Amino acid sequence: MGKPSDLVQGTLDLLILKTISLEPKHGWAIAKRIQQISNEVLQVQQGSLYPALHRLEQKAWIKAKWAESETGRKAKFYSLTATGRAQLEKEAANWSRLSAAIDLVVEAT
Amino acid sequence: MVWARKAWLRLQTLFWRRRVAEQLDDELQFHLEQQIAENVAAGMSEEEARLAAVRIFGNTTALKEETRDTWGWITLEQIAQDLRYGLRSLRKSPLFTVVAVLTLAFGIGANTAIFSLIDQVLLQLLPVKHPEQLVLVAERGIRFGDSWGDNDISYPMYRDFRDGNQVFSGMFCRYPTSVSLGYGDRTEQVTAELVSGSYFPVLGVTAVIGRTVTPDDDRVPGGHPVAMLSHSFWQSRFSSDPSIVGKQIFINGYSFTVIGVSQGGFDGVEVGYKSKLFIPMMMQAQMTPLSDRLEERSLSWVTAFGRLKPGVTIAQAKASLQPLMHNILEVEVQEPTLQHYSDYDRAQFLKNSIDILPGSQGWSGLREHMQTPLWLLAALSGAVLLLACANLANLLLARATTREREMAVRLAIGAGRRRIIRLLLVESLALAVIGTAVGLGLAFLADHVLLATYFPADSAGDFPISSVPDMRVLVFALGMMLLTALVFGLAPAVQGSQAEIAPTLKDRAGSVAGGRQVLLRKLLVSGQMALALLLLIGATLFLKTLANLENSGPGFSTEHLMAFTVNPSLNGYVDDRAKDFFRRLAEDLQTLPSVSSVGLSTIPILQGRGWSNPVIAEGYSADPGQEQPAICDMISPKLFATLGVPIVAGRDFTVLDTRPVAIINETLARKYFAGRNPVGLHIGMVDDRTAAPDTLNLEIIGVVKDLKYKNLRDPAPPQAYFPYWRDEKARFMTFYLRTRVDPQQLTQAVREQVRRLDPNVSVVDLRTVDEQIGRSLKTERLVAGLSVVFGALATALAVIGLYGVMAYIVARRRREIGIRVALGALQGDVLWMVMRQVVLLSGAGLAIGALLAFALGSLIRSQLYGLQPHDPFTFVSAVLVLAVAAGMAGLIPSWRASRIDPMQSLRSE
Repeated sequence: MGKPSDLVQGTLDLLILKTISLEPKHGWAIAKRIQQISNEVLQVQQGSLYPALHRLEQKAWIKAKWAESETGRKAKFYSLTATGRAQLEKEAANWSRLSAAIDLVVEAT
Repeated sequence: MVWARKAWLRLQTLFWRRRVAEQLDDELQFHLEQQIAENVAAGMSEEEARLAAVRIFGNTTALKEETRDTWGWITLEQIAQDLRYGLRSLRKSPLFTVVAVLTLAFGIGANTAIFSLIDQVLLQLLPVKHPEQLVLVAERGIRFGDSWGDNDISYPMYRDFRDGNQVFSGMFCRYPTSVSLGYGDRTEQVTAELVSGSYFPVLGVTAVIGRTVTPDDDRVPGGHPVAMLSHSFWQSRFSSDPSIVGKQIFINGYSFTVIGVSQGGFDGVEVGYKSKLFIPMMMQAQMTPLSDRLEERSLSWVTAFGRLKPGVTIAQAKASLQPLMHNILEVEVQEPTLQHYSDYDRAQFLKNSIDILPGSQGWSGLREHMQTPLWLLAALSGAVLLLACANLANLLLARATTREREMAVRLAIGAGRRRIIRLLLVESLALAVIGTAVGLGLAFLADHVLLATYFPADSAGDFPISSVPDMRVLVFALGMMLLTALVFGLAPAVQGSQAEIAPTLKDRAGSVAGGRQVLLRKLLVSGQMALALLLLIGATLFLKTLANLENSGPGFSTEHLMAFTVNPSLNGYVDDRAKDFFRRLAEDLQTLPSVSSVGLSTIPILQGRGWSNPVIAEGYSADPGQEQPAICDMISPKLFATLGVPIVAGRDFTVLDTRPVAIINETLARKYFAGRNPVGLHIGMVDDRTAAPDTLNLEIIGVVKDLKYKNLRDPAPPQAYFPYWRDEKARFMTFYLRTRVDPQQLTQAVREQVRRLDPNVSVVDLRTVDEQIGRSLKTERLVAGLSVVFGALATALAVIGLYGVMAYIVARRRREIGIRVALGALQGDVLWMVMRQVVLLSGAGLAIGALLAFALGSLIRSQLYGLQPHDPFTFVSAVLVLAVAAGMAGLIPSWRASRIDPMQSLRSE
């Protein structure tokens, strides 16, 4: 039972943090949003989404609140904490640096 | 605040686990519903949409588990699982569980019971401020006058130390005494403590209501009729009535004002003596009638304590106080009493030194008396616990074998060895918890029974030592529990985790005997045998000591003999009035038809008391300071007739003896008058203040056969008796009645006679002399009784252990034995083959045990009477008992082994 290989763990964390940085979202909306923005390239499986959400919550990077969703049903909405926001900036910067570096290497040949 | 949020979340996931789990379900359900809704919107039917959504969702349980893992607490959750599983498996084998729990309960219960006593009697510090600073001030060397205790000093000496020392931040003194307390319509005799005004301030003990005794309550002799109640007495006698403060109570007939109640848990500074009243020292003359001791330098009677200034050590205090001590001695040597002394004695007296003893535990006669017996019992109960642990380890090892398959399956499907060890340890811990809980209950009961047998019945459950386990005892029991769980649980757990997967699952295990596990169990059994022998030898020695003491007897017949004590001086009877009271009471009792004879003695016989005085004799010269001390007593005519002690020469006292006369016992006669007839010769008392020194003023009129005096243990000392009416200060008296009927029937009549003379005089210690002798042997009885119980437990445990191991070995060797029989081994051969192991195992154990007992024997020599710790009869009989028991335990599995049918045993595997 290994982790899904489509997304590296740290990357999923970054995507989640970024996705909820504007407004609180529930799990379904987070998965959908990532899918849409990435033009259906990134598919977030429930099997990795929910463990990731709970792990981030335990780390106090995100916080959860039960509220009414669009359909009127109660859902768990996640939003960033102050620590989470700082973390997002750090991770995003890291990612830019890393992807730029990888680009350089890949395009140099 | 990140840590607070984290902590809050963790707490939630720990304590509201179910709610958090339900929320997770809800969250995932919402996701599923959204997916279904999307699928429907894409044109699927309701049913198709649901199936597709579930398919995408995948393994929900795995998802949930993985999410839960992020919450932490996996270890805890697994331990909870282990615990549930362990309890279930214990429930499935009730016999094992009951045996294990009982074994542990007895082991832990015995230790907790003994620890509870040890803690209270030997270990606990006084419940006062900085008890470690408290010290006891005592005098060493030649004491002049009377000394009532090795560590007592006179009140003037205490005063000199209090006013002249540089090393104490404060000093106080105290004296325990019984007083007669009248309140409401009841008069009773209660324990009290005379205390100096500095007692409460220096101890740092406060009052819960009212105030404490202060130095202002302790200035003028006889001028401070105030008293404080102890907290427990306030509760039991006055129902915690706060309005008692300011009320009047009557102590020894004097009106006193109650000024306060001491803080809870404080009952004075002597362990084993609960003070119910605290009375200023200046009221001494009223509290102990007929003696005015506050200015008396020749009477050592108070215990003096000091509180060391911070930073001062005991050695420094000693050095600093010695010059002060010498100054005091220089004053005291001028005392008139000492003028009778020889120059040699006076020179010796001036060499007296000061002694400073640690006082953090107060002072306790009970402690001095019980120290050795209690540590001894602790050692015995510790050995029992060790045995119990060995037995449990054995049981668990056997259980591990029967569960080998289960463990192999667990290992095979992926459990880690550590997890298996943990599972087994948690199971052991569960056993230990249950065993400890039961053991605590047993300890409470046992202590209650022990205290009830140890302390007099008339203390009505109000023992100076408590049987209720306190925090310290609970912590001790908890520690024992963890320790034992580890000791008996670890080896089997490690063993269990090492199950060989393949052979076990292939069902080949059990076909070979031996291995490390069997060796371990054999060692355990031998060790148990050794310990059991040790305990059995101890039990036999103590039992024989008790029997020897009982058989030695006091030197007179105790049948139909009854005794009681009165102290009318507490009710104002002094001098001639007291003597008159004794005479009239004796006459009244004599008129009872079922009383055949009445005798009086000032010192009660066989109660550990004695009045010792150096004696000189006509025609016998002793070096100064080398005079023989004799135990003296003031008695009535017919005491010897009542006790049934024959007068071997001369005659008894009569009321007509108004001259100074004495009766001596055979031992004194032998010492001083070897080969002479002492009747008509004279003796004198060295400390007699009424006569000039070396006066031989007492004419011997009779010689009486020896009888034991202080206790049954010591042989009869030299004794001298005088008529009680010649005593200047008669205060209390013990009456002995020889009865024609069972003495128990007379208790009411006796109390009635005393009441008719004066309803306020209390009758104390009314019981048969047999009972009294029983009381004087209470410590020996306690030790003998407990060591027999421990010995029996130990034997049972060791024998069960041996049986268990042999049965196990035979079961494992069924197949092999079957083959042997098939190949022609006879029943006798098989029987011997197994029995040989029994003999080897128990023989080795017994040999080690005997050696240990031999080596440890000298440690208990002081506790024995009439036999040596290496008493051969005891050794042989204990070895025989254990050998027979072990043989019987071994015979059953051996016999079973010899009956193995080869056909059956070979087919069954």
